[in-house]
Amino acid sequence: MNSIFFLIPIALVLGGIFAVMFVLAARDGQFDDLDDPPERILHD
Amino acid sequence: MAAAIIRGAGLERYYEERSEYAPRPGPSASGWNSIPVTTCDDGSREVRLVVDGLRCASCVWVTEHLLQATPGVQDATISYATGRANLRWDPELVDLDTLAGRIAALGYRPRLLGEEGKPDRGLLVRLGVAVFCALNIMMLTVPLYLGWITDLEPRYEALFRWAALLLATPVALWCAEPFFSGAVQGLKNRVLHMDLPIAIAIGVLYLHGLAATIAGGETYLDSLAMLVALLLAGRMLEGRSRRRAAEAALSLAASVPATVRRHAGETVETVAADDLRPGDLIDVGTGEEFAVDGYVHEGRGEVRMSLITGESEPVEVTVGSAVVAGSELLEGSLTLRVERVGEATTLQRMAAQLRAAADRPVRLTSTDRIAPWFTAATILVATLTACGWWLLAGDGDTALRATVAVLVVACPCALALSRPLAAAAGLGAAARRGLLFRSADGLLDLEEVDTVMLDKTGTVTRGELAVVAAEDETLRVAAGLERYSMHPIARAIVSEAARRGIPLPAATDVREEIGRGISGRVDDREWRLSAGGPGRVELSGDDGQSDRIALADAVRPDSAQAVRLMKERGIQVVLLTGDHEEVARRIAEQAGITELEARVDPEGKADRVRARQAEGTRVAFAGDGLNDGPALAAADVGIAMGTGAASSVLVADGIISTWSLMPLVAGFRASSAAARAIRWNQVRSIGYNVVAVSAAAAGLINPLIAAILMPASSAMVIWGASRVEAAMESGQP
Repeated sequence: MNSIFFLIPIALVLGGIFAVMFVLAARDGQFDDLDDPPERILHD
Repeated sequence: MAAAIIRGAGLERYYEERSEYAPRPGPSASGWNSIPVTTCDDGSREVRLVVDGLRCASCVWVTEHLLQATPGVQDATISYATGRANLRWDPELVDLDTLAGRIAALGYRPRLLGEEGKPDRGLLVRLGVAVFCALNIMMLTVPLYLGWITDLEPRYEALFRWAALLLATPVALWCAEPFFSGAVQGLKNRVLHMDLPIAIAIGVLYLHGLAATIAGGETYLDSLAMLVALLLAGRMLEGRSRRRAAEAALSLAASVPATVRRHAGETVETVAADDLRPGDLIDVGTGEEFAVDGYVHEGRGEVRMSLITGESEPVEVTVGSAVVAGSELLEGSLTLRVERVGEATTLQRMAAQLRAAADRPVRLTSTDRIAPWFTAATILVATLTACGWWLLAGDGDTALRATVAVLVVACPCALALSRPLAAAAGLGAAARRGLLFRSADGLLDLEEVDTVMLDKTGTVTRGELAVVAAEDETLRVAAGLERYSMHPIARAIVSEAARRGIPLPAATDVREEIGRGISGRVDDREWRLSAGGPGRVELSGDDGQSDRIALADAVRPDSAQAVRLMKERGIQVVLLTGDHEEVARRIAEQAGITELEARVDPEGKADRVRARQAEGTRVAFAGDGLNDGPALAAADVGIAMGTGAASSVLVADGIISTWSLMPLVAGFRASSAAARAIRWNQVRSIGYNVVAVSAAAAGLINPLIAAILMPASSAMVIWGASRVEAAMESGQP
C-alpha cells in the first residue's frame, strides 16, 4: 500500500503534463475554430 | 465600418498580431482617440464598438447607464445579443479615451468592430483546467466516502485529502475568477445577479475545505470543482451559440465588392470601393455586384434587385437608369457614373436603420431576477440558524456546524445552470436542424409566439424562377441554347433539363441580345428563344413554329409540410407579399396558407406585424430581403433566411441556414422544449434548496449527506437540459 504515496503524485504529475499541454494548445488557438479546418480541404 | 477602414489601410495583420502576442486585445486606453470615428452633422462624434465580457443582461444595463451618465455623452446603447455598443458624444466635453476607459474600468473590454466571433480562449483554458481538477478530485474523494465503510488507514486518508486540496486550489482561486470579478462588479454597481450567490458558494466551499483539510475532517472539494466546471461549461455553451450566429451574420454581411474598376483617362485601374468619389466612372461586368449607387452611363443589362426589393424578377436597365449597391448585374456590361458611395448608399442607409432597430432593450433573465432573492434568503437563513442555535439553544458548536451546512447546501449551482444549460441545449437542437439563434432570448421568445407571418418570395418560395410547364423537346433545344448563360431564366431551363435527365445538345452561333433573347443553331436548325409575356418564354424555330416554356417562382417542396406542422401547433400562419393578389393566392394555396395579404410595401409589412401585436398576439416574422428588415425588427421574433439579404440578417433574432422552412418548425419545438426544461429546472432547484436548507438549518444534515445532495441537484438540472434533445427526437423530424 505504500506505493500509493508514489503513485498518486506520479498520476497527478502525468495528468498535469497533459493539462499544461491542453492549456498551451488552447492559448495557441488550437480550438478556436473546430468547424472550418475539416472543410477547408474540400475548398482547396 | 472602422474595421473596414483598418482593413482598407492594409492593417489587418494588426488583428492577427495582437491576438497572437497579447492575450487581452484592444487598443490601450490611450489609443482610442486615434481610431476613425464618424462626425455627425451637429459636430458630435459617433462610433460602433463591440464590448467583450458582457455576460448578463444587468452587465449591459450597468455599462449603458454609466456611459449615459458621463457628461458629454449624448447617446449610448449596447445590444446584449451582439455586444455592440453605439456611442455618440460631444468632442468638446469628453473623448473616446475616457469612454473606453470607463468601459474598461467596469471590467469589460471594448474593441473595434470587426473581430466579432473570436472565441474566448481564456474561458476554454479555465474550463479545461477545472474539468481536469474536478475529475481527479473525484477519484481521490470517492474512496474517502467509501472509507467510512472499509476503514482506510488515516495516513492514506490524509494523503487523499491534501491531494484534493492541491487540485481544488487552482479551481477556486483561478478558474472561478470570472464569477468573483462578476460578483464584485455587481456589488460595486449595486446590481445583484447570479454571480454573487455563486461566488459566495465557491468561497464558503473552499474556505471550509481548507479548514477541514487542516483539521482532518470531511470536505466538499469535489462538489466545488464540479460546480465551477459545470458553470464554466454552461457559460461557454452560451457564448458558442452566440458566436455562431454572429459568424453566420458576418459571412453574409460581406457581400458588396471591396474593389472596383475605375476609369482613369483612357485606361481602367482597380481601386478600393471606399476610394470612389461621386462622378467617377466604373465598369461592371456580367455576374458582378454593384458596390455603389449610380446611374448607367453606357451599355445595357439586366439587374436583380432582390436585395432591396425582395422580388427576384430581373429588371432591365439602359443609359440613365438608376442602380443601387448590392444588386447584381445578371447580364450585359455597364459603365456606371457613381452617385453615392460607402455609408451614403441606399443599402448602407437601410442597413444603418436596421442596425439601430436591432439593438433591442435589455432584459433581465428569469434567473437573474431570482438571484438577489436567492442570495438574500440564503444569508437570512444562515443568520437565523446561527442566532437560533446560539441564542435560543445556547449551543455554539451546533450553531457553527448548522450555519456552514446551510451555506454549503444552499447551492446556487442548480439554479444558475437551469437557464444556460437548457437554453444551450435548445439552441444546439435548433442549430442542428438549420436555425441559428443569436441569443437564448430569441429562442425562448418563440415559445410565446402564436402568429407566424411569412414573406412570400425567397421564404415560402425558392425566390428564383423554375420551369413549371414545358415539352421535353422544347426544353432540350432551349437548354442547349441557354447552357452557358448565367441569366436566371437560363439557369431554370438548364436545371429543369438536368432534372428530367435530358442530354444537352450542342449549340453553335449562339448570340445573346440583352433584354431581347437568345438565338443559335441546334441540330442544324436556327432557333430563337425570346420573352413571351409574363412568366413565359417562347422558342421559335426557322419553320415558323413556336413552343412555350412557362416559368414561375415555385413554392419550396417542404413549405406546405412546414405550414401544416405549424398549424398543428395552433399557430396562425399568414402570408405577406408585395406581389399581386393573383400570384399570392396561388402560392398560398400551394403552401396551404389560408390567410394572406398582397401588395404590401416594406413599411406596410412592419405595420401589419404591429397591428397583430396590438391585438395581443405574439408575432414571428420570417423573410429574406432588405425590404423585410422593418418587419423583422418589429416582430417579437424575426427570422431571416440566411440565403437572403445580408442586412436582414442583422436585425433578425434567428437565421435559417438551409433552403427550407422546416428549421422554423424545429425552432418552435426546440423553443418549447427549452422553455419547459428551464421552468422545470427552476422548480427542481428551488425545491431542492427549500428542502435541503430547512434540513440544514434544523441541524439534520451532516457534511456527507450535503456532499451527495449537491452534485445530485446539479445532475438533476443537467438531466433536465438533456431532455430537450430527447424531446426533439421523440417528435416529428
